[in-house]
Amino acid sequence: MEIRIHGRGGQGGVTGAKILALIYARLGKDVQTFGDYSGERSGAPVRAYTRVSDEPITNRNKVYHPDHLLVFDDSLLGPAVLSGVPKGGHILLNTTMSLSDLPPEYADFNVGLINATEIARKHGIGTKSLVIVNTTIAGAYCKLVGLEFSELDAAYNDIGFASNLDSAREAFETVEICETSTPHQHAPEDDLSAAQLPMVMELVAHVTSPATGLKTGTWSSQRPAYVEKLAPCSAFCPAGNDAIGFVQAMAANGGGAAEGAEILGRSTPLSAVCGRVCPAPCMQGCNRAEKEGTVNIRGLERWIAEQNPVAVRKVERVAEPKRLAIIGGGPAGLSAAYELAKAGHDAHIFDTEAKLGGVLRTGIPEYRLPRVALDREVDDVLALGVTAHCNEPIDAGRMSELASDFDGVIIAAGLQKLRSLGLPGEDSDAVEQGIRFLHRITMGGGATVSGHVVILGGGNTAMDCARSAYRAGAEKVTVAYRRTHAEMPAIREEIHEAEAEGVEMLMLRAPKGYVVADGKLTGIELEIQELGEPDESGRRSPKGTGQTETLDCDCVLLALGQSIDASIFPDGWEMSDDHHVKTANGAVVFGAGDISTWEGTVTHAIGSGRRAAGLALNALGVDYETFVRPERLTAVPATAIRMDHFSKRDMNADQMAHPSPLAGDYSEVNSGMADATEADRCFSCGKCTSCDNCLVYCPEGIIARQTEYGYAVDNDYCKGCGICVEECPRDSMEMYQL
Amino acid sequence: MSRQLISANHAAAEAATMAARANKNARGFASGIYPITPQTECIEYLAKQEIEKGAVVRVESEHSAMGVCIGAALSGARTFTASASNGLSYMVENIATAGFYRLPILMYAVNRTLGPPWNIWVDHGDTFQLRDAGWMHVYCEDNQEVMDSILFAYRVMEDARIMLPMMVCADAFVLSHTMMMTDMPTQEQVDAYLPDLNLPHAVASEPVTVGGLDFPRETEVHRRQHQEAFDRVPEVYAEAQAEFEKVFGRKIPDRVVPYQMDDAEIAIVCIGTFASTVKPVVDKLRKQGIKAGLVRLRMLRPFPEQEMVEILSGVERIGVMDRDISLGMGGVLWSETRGCAPHAIMQNYMIGLGGGDVRAGHIETIFTELLEQKESGKPRIVEVG
Repeated sequence: MEIRIHGRGGQGGVTGAKILALIYARLGKDVQTFGDYSGERSGAPVRAYTRVSDEPITNRNKVYHPDHLLVFDDSLLGPAVLSGVPKGGHILLNTTMSLSDLPPEYADFNVGLINATEIARKHGIGTKSLVIVNTTIAGAYCKLVGLEFSELDAAYNDIGFASNLDSAREAFETVEICETSTPHQHAPEDDLSAAQLPMVMELVAHVTSPATGLKTGTWSSQRPAYVEKLAPCSAFCPAGNDAIGFVQAMAANGGGAAEGAEILGRSTPLSAVCGRVCPAPCMQGCNRAEKEGTVNIRGLERWIAEQNPVAVRKVERVAEPKRLAIIGGGPAGLSAAYELAKAGHDAHIFDTEAKLGGVLRTGIPEYRLPRVALDREVDDVLALGVTAHCNEPIDAGRMSELASDFDGVIIAAGLQKLRSLGLPGEDSDAVEQGIRFLHRITMGGGATVSGHVVILGGGNTAMDCARSAYRAGAEKVTVAYRRTHAEMPAIREEIHEAEAEGVEMLMLRAPKGYVVADGKLTGIELEIQELGEPDESGRRSPKGTGQTETLDCDCVLLALGQSIDASIFPDGWEMSDDHHVKTANGAVVFGAGDISTWEGTVTHAIGSGRRAAGLALNALGVDYETFVRPERLTAVPATAIRMDHFSKRDMNADQMAHPSPLAGDYSEVNSGMADATEADRCFSCGKCTSCDNCLVYCPEGIIARQTEYGYAVDNDYCKGCGICVEECPRDSMEMYQL
Repeated sequence: MSRQLISANHAAAEAATMAARANKNARGFASGIYPITPQTECIEYLAKQEIEKGAVVRVESEHSAMGVCIGAALSGARTFTASASNGLSYMVENIATAGFYRLPILMYAVNRTLGPPWNIWVDHGDTFQLRDAGWMHVYCEDNQEVMDSILFAYRVMEDARIMLPMMVCADAFVLSHTMMMTDMPTQEQVDAYLPDLNLPHAVASEPVTVGGLDFPRETEVHRRQHQEAFDRVPEVYAEAQAEFEKVFGRKIPDRVVPYQMDDAEIAIVCIGTFASTVKPVVDKLRKQGIKAGLVRLRMLRPFPEQEMVEILSGVERIGVMDRDISLGMGGVLWSETRGCAPHAIMQNYMIGLGGGDVRAGHIETIFTELLEQKESGKPRIVEVG
């Protein structure tokens, strides 16, 4: 019995023939299997053969009259492929056709149809450039010729293909079969006379003939395409910044800082702020972490902001602008106002303080965020026509008025209710809310402390309090936290900076009581904790051990967290899902920032402000594309990056200079990067940089640069080998099936 | 012993690996390798093997691959390499050197057409160009024979009476890439079959110049000694055959393999895998009452003239099938065989040049024409496409 397989180079036809041979060998048959090799590469038509016999096989010819014919790629179908199959023989096609599409010339054969390419792709067999179909087709073959699936199962386990069994089983179960009533016949003898042979050019002509005009692209079953995929930095940015866009603008062949600023300006008014205080989720996503360290994306954002001190952004008001009141001038409020102003609508920000900025101004000390940088960006937002109503505290009554005076309200008031311990002694002058302490430093003309200052908490407020306490005159600063370093919610860099400045971290300590002597705080009693089961945040929760210790101190700052101050909500108003606020009279009201999301960072607040603004416009009947935070899982994974293409180069980190002594010195610690060459470290995941790798590696030499941008593939000669896609360093190419 | 579905390329590499391991108590093993279609799978497989006291050295050319083998063999190591076609042409200088140094180096040669124009399929012209380089040549008919011949070759080459290199040749693709069920020997069997290599002229710790200068008188003697070593091959070959059967339970074919020759009046002479195609035709003709036969020449050098003369003595008509052409002369096998049967009508068919698929129908035509032939004719090329 003879089997012939027709496929294309790279589809696994030769191995397919071997698989069939192994199945029959297990049944005690003598077998022989071989490929019909030629000089061509991937995509070229390939034949492979298997012989099966009860007697020892001596025939070494190719197979001219196959009892079973398997076609791995139906674009090969033609007289040469079907030739020699005797009537009553078996033909198995890998095709998208169904039996009803089958031409009449198949009526004399037992035909099986299977879309093995689809099945194999679904089961992930092959590479990103080539689906390997042989193991799947073998499943359909067994069904067609009446072999038990258990035979295939056993053979695959023998040869280490067990992982392909699911795909083979699906093919076994879904192959469409049409049996013929024509009995199996012997093929007629072939005419072997030399008269049948094709003519050949003379040797000299053959040697000197010009290159072949054969359009090898017609062999192709798939082709490469240039695509743009979502980079993880962009996918991870809660504000929706086009992170890869602005980083690539700063790369050697990019458009520079002006282009970077333009890209950032599409999503954020706060680059100088985020370039300093953002926890940089983009860098957590950066695939370069898998090589030698992430790209300093935050540093590049700051660099761009500083190269463009004046942002010239023009907006055009729409014909009938909506008027929205925004409660709170923090990052969420500023972002919402910026989004509305860019869309041509009127935004009015109401804020308790004398200047906008919210927590950026009142909570983040100057040594992290100089006022000049913040003021400039606030001014930029106002320059778009946003109106600021400062020194206007809002209560429930005023909120109701605004809801009727304006088309809509966006509440971006933050979390104003501060948690405390409620223990005796908390009313002492030496115990203060950290937020208030920071407010005194940033807004009240300064604050002083002395002696040993203990901060309770492990978030960013705790870190800001700790570092500020040294600058306010503390001799010693200790942070007491009930869990461990790993669970601290503060930004990692802030923890490191605090430690670098001499802040002592006392982990697994929960406050039990203040120690007061003669009306004066002398210390704090702490209970030693241990970590138990993870809580709903995924962090392991602390459990008291009953063992306590007393820490002598002169001052305690509370950084225990904040919550919503519900007193600003009129009766019947209630926070709802996804920024919505339910109101009693159906007024258009949305929340933005921490009040809605509780996420606690500037970048989350920006994204939230954008979304709330868009939702408000939509609710007011404006056709507007509301920001949706990107889906992280769709980003290019590190495994898709060709790491070896990139030379190792360490991150260009921010320059840090801690003042000494710290007391009284609020100058900025981080001076950013010396230059923007860091951008050249960017892999540019999923975004073509015209690096020429595809062009260089194309074995056919048929990829060419285009004058404007990108590359052209000469499809007359592209055989679909997929080498360009495999070699693309940044996953910005894909194969598609023809 | 197990049976595996493997290609001749992998069978060759598997045999070389076991032979390599078998010399671990002596000077070990080294192999210089350079890829060329259709042997590449063989050296890729070899390069992946863990061989204690062995080195597989990837070099930049065939010439250097043989250079590695020469150096290693001179220090007493067992050696192996593989090549084909123009790769062999590039290796020629060192192939002759290995021959005249009398080094027992094994080459797995996959017969491929010489170019240009380039052609990767089977043709025996590439190893025939090395006929006079002082090497033994054997040509195989199936995968099992490739594997067994490599083990067998070490036994013959390394015999103290021989000390000659050997080529074990296999038809491109028809053998090299074709997977057949093959009996795999065990390491214990190979250890038992192959004694440690003890090269009498191995270079020891003292530096020496190998080769040097021969004056005419010295060359006369060296060539005579070289020829005498070839003359001892039949005796050693027979001993190694007997020992092989004892250890592995399989036979190594004789230097000439006759099929239905006891009373044959008409016969085909060929080498390599052609024999498999001819056999069923002989069977068919015998059923028709024609006393047909087949002679497969397995060993080209030393040429088994005596066996050929005896086997062909009663044959009236002989067709010699060459898958090669000595341009300006005819088939090499034909010119080698002519003197063995001066009484017979002998016709040379150069067929399947460049790898054409020679089928039973072609062989039947040859027999038919030969039966009607009145006298020996000039060599003919038969085109099969």
